[in-house]
Amino acid sequence: MQALGRVLERLRARDSAERRRLERELPETTGFSAATVREGLTLALTEFSAAALEALVERELGALGKGRLASGFDATAVVLGGGVPTPTLLALATPLLLGSPVLVRSSSHDPVTARVFASALAAEAPALAESLELVSFPSDDDAALGELLAAPCVVAFGSDETMAALGARLGPTQRFVRHGHRLSVAVLGRAAQSGPALGEAAAALARDVALWDQQGCLSPVALYVLGVERVPDALLTALVSAFEEAAQRWPRGRVSLQASARSVAERDTAELRAAAGADVRIRAGRDFTLVAEPNAEFRGSPLYRFLRVHPVASAEQLLEALATLGPHLAAVGVAGVGAELDALGPELAALGAARVCSLGTLQCPPLAWCHDQPGVLLPLARLTDIEE
Amino acid sequence: MRAEIERELLAWMQDEPAHRDDARFERLALALFAFQFEANAAYGRFCAARGATPASVGSWREIPAVPAGAFKELPLRCFPAERCMHVFRTSGTALARRGELQLDTLELYEASLVPSFEAGVLPDLGPDERLPMLVLAASPAEAHDSSLSHMFGVMHARRGAPGSGFFLRDARLDVDALGHALAEAMQAPKLLLCGTAFAFVHWLEALEQRGLRLALPAGARLMETGGFKGRSRELPREQLHAWLHDRLGVPPARCVNQYGMTELASQFYDSVLRDRDARRRKLAPAWTRVRVVDPESGEDVPDGEVGAIRIVDLANTGSVLAIATADLARRSGDGFEVLGREAGAEARGCSIAADEMLAGA
Repeated sequence: MQALGRVLERLRARDSAERRRLERELPETTGFSAATVREGLTLALTEFSAAALEALVERELGALGKGRLASGFDATAVVLGGGVPTPTLLALATPLLLGSPVLVRSSSHDPVTARVFASALAAEAPALAESLELVSFPSDDDAALGELLAAPCVVAFGSDETMAALGARLGPTQRFVRHGHRLSVAVLGRAAQSGPALGEAAAALARDVALWDQQGCLSPVALYVLGVERVPDALLTALVSAFEEAAQRWPRGRVSLQASARSVAERDTAELRAAAGADVRIRAGRDFTLVAEPNAEFRGSPLYRFLRVHPVASAEQLLEALATLGPHLAAVGVAGVGAELDALGPELAALGAARVCSLGTLQCPPLAWCHDQPGVLLPLARLTDIEE
Repeated sequence: MRAEIERELLAWMQDEPAHRDDARFERLALALFAFQFEANAAYGRFCAARGATPASVGSWREIPAVPAGAFKELPLRCFPAERCMHVFRTSGTALARRGELQLDTLELYEASLVPSFEAGVLPDLGPDERLPMLVLAASPAEAHDSSLSHMFGVMHARRGAPGSGFFLRDARLDVDALGHALAEAMQAPKLLLCGTAFAFVHWLEALEQRGLRLALPAGARLMETGGFKGRSRELPREQLHAWLHDRLGVPPARCVNQYGMTELASQFYDSVLRDRDARRRKLAPAWTRVRVVDPESGEDVPDGEVGAIRIVDLANTGSVLAIATADLARRSGDGFEVLGREAGAEARGCSIAADEMLAGA
């Protein structure tokens, strides 16, 4: 644990060789802008400290009681996906913490983070580093994938289709910890709909959207404005201003042709709906698009900083709108909700939200955030009760 | 105005469907745009907001395209709702919105599909020749709002020999019935197997499970279309064709992929059967034009570079003639190559585009 804590501290330290390497190499491989990578790592790693790791171990394993032992599997295979680097760090550290050797296959979009983690580990604990092996093979190499999936514990990140395909290849005795695709939303309560509070909330939202270009499951794809029948123009203006500033500070990264085509299609469709008489307002600026919708009905977002803004007359209407998302709802970032949150929190939990937090903190979840799992370490552990 | 345009189009499709007449296309496209600009108020306002009016648009290339997805949002038709006599819908789940192409006539729709299908899939058939046509898709009676089933229904009536039929029933491929029909059809020198790509995958899996390998006659050809959309395992087109070759004995050079969509009245077929020695590419019917563009600027990308597909289809008289898609392609001589999703692979993290989520719900 101490060694892994020191690895996290190395990555947190902005002047460490590992951190500088992440900031240098990730923009090229992932497509995120350098400023986005810098800010995203700084925010996310705020919570990734040695102390937080220790607290996590105490919270999950210390609480097990005297007669219950947790141990890692003989091997854990980690199949990474996408270009957002931060999930990689925990995915590698946690099985090692339980004493399980790790085989990891990086995503083609981020081959860097796992390598940097491995090199930090080798520097801090050479013997432990031998328990981490990076494997690489083409996505159509079925035999190599089969070998990787032979591990008794498999952790995977990716789409629902990927999860289903991998799950189908595993045996009944294998542990499968899946992290499928999810999305997040933001909620703006009355107290944050005007004045300085609006400016602050808009800036917080703009940062949550800008980081990782909406590619992370904690990136909000929609904003719900509570207690209004129509999204106020002044609120839209404040959002535009905040998004413009965010685009200046953290420019959008590389956008694939297909994603660009989807964004244009969504924007044009919104314009067509407006032309057909729907109360749809489009505010597109440098690197972002905001679409004010006439109602609470959830609609798709093509990501890459494309946010829909919905009016919701009441908390009930909000819950009704979010019910559509079901198990895909990762987090709800809130601002200006005040005492309403006491009632709203349990309702959001009942819908399946795995996290409710303040707007502006969506991209820096605590190390101990459970991702809708029974814990961070426990899903990767074998538990043994030793009776007296 | 529309009636005149349709009369001229029908004559073009029936009398000289292979004649790519640029001047006629330009004239009809501008006339149709002028009609649709007036007849569909929403589309007219959409165009006007871009500064595109019948007075300002001087070329078919300048006609504003609507995204294919917009057909999920509003009725893009140029006639009163009460005149709608047929609706084709995109595939989807109860939760996801489905796109609709509303039609007040099927005459032009069918006139467009027949010559394209015949040129792309049946170029070696005489004018009145028929062949066994085994369809791996639902019949039009079962899937009345499927444009694909309708197309197969039209071609089945026109070109299907006795023994032809539809083998996707209640959303399941009837492998046994297909096997029996195929055994009979293989007596003929020519035969056609056509359907959705995912139905072919299901069939190939069934053949594999049964350890069956067939040797179809040299005159057999396959036509497959559509994506997989989670209904079977996904595989690149080349792999599907190689698998078809392995299990059915039909070489890739006789496997024709069709690119089409519910929102369009016309379809695009691989060139392999009519231009055997050249590179595989999609060929466009004479009354359509395909652009490969930068989606942001709307400008054509240089030849050989990848861009998004935009189509102007004169057969879309009652809806909108210019459609923008999010599909990627590159120009290839007189045609275009549609690229698989992997070509535009995104560095997607753990987030999910909500339309994908809804589609998969």
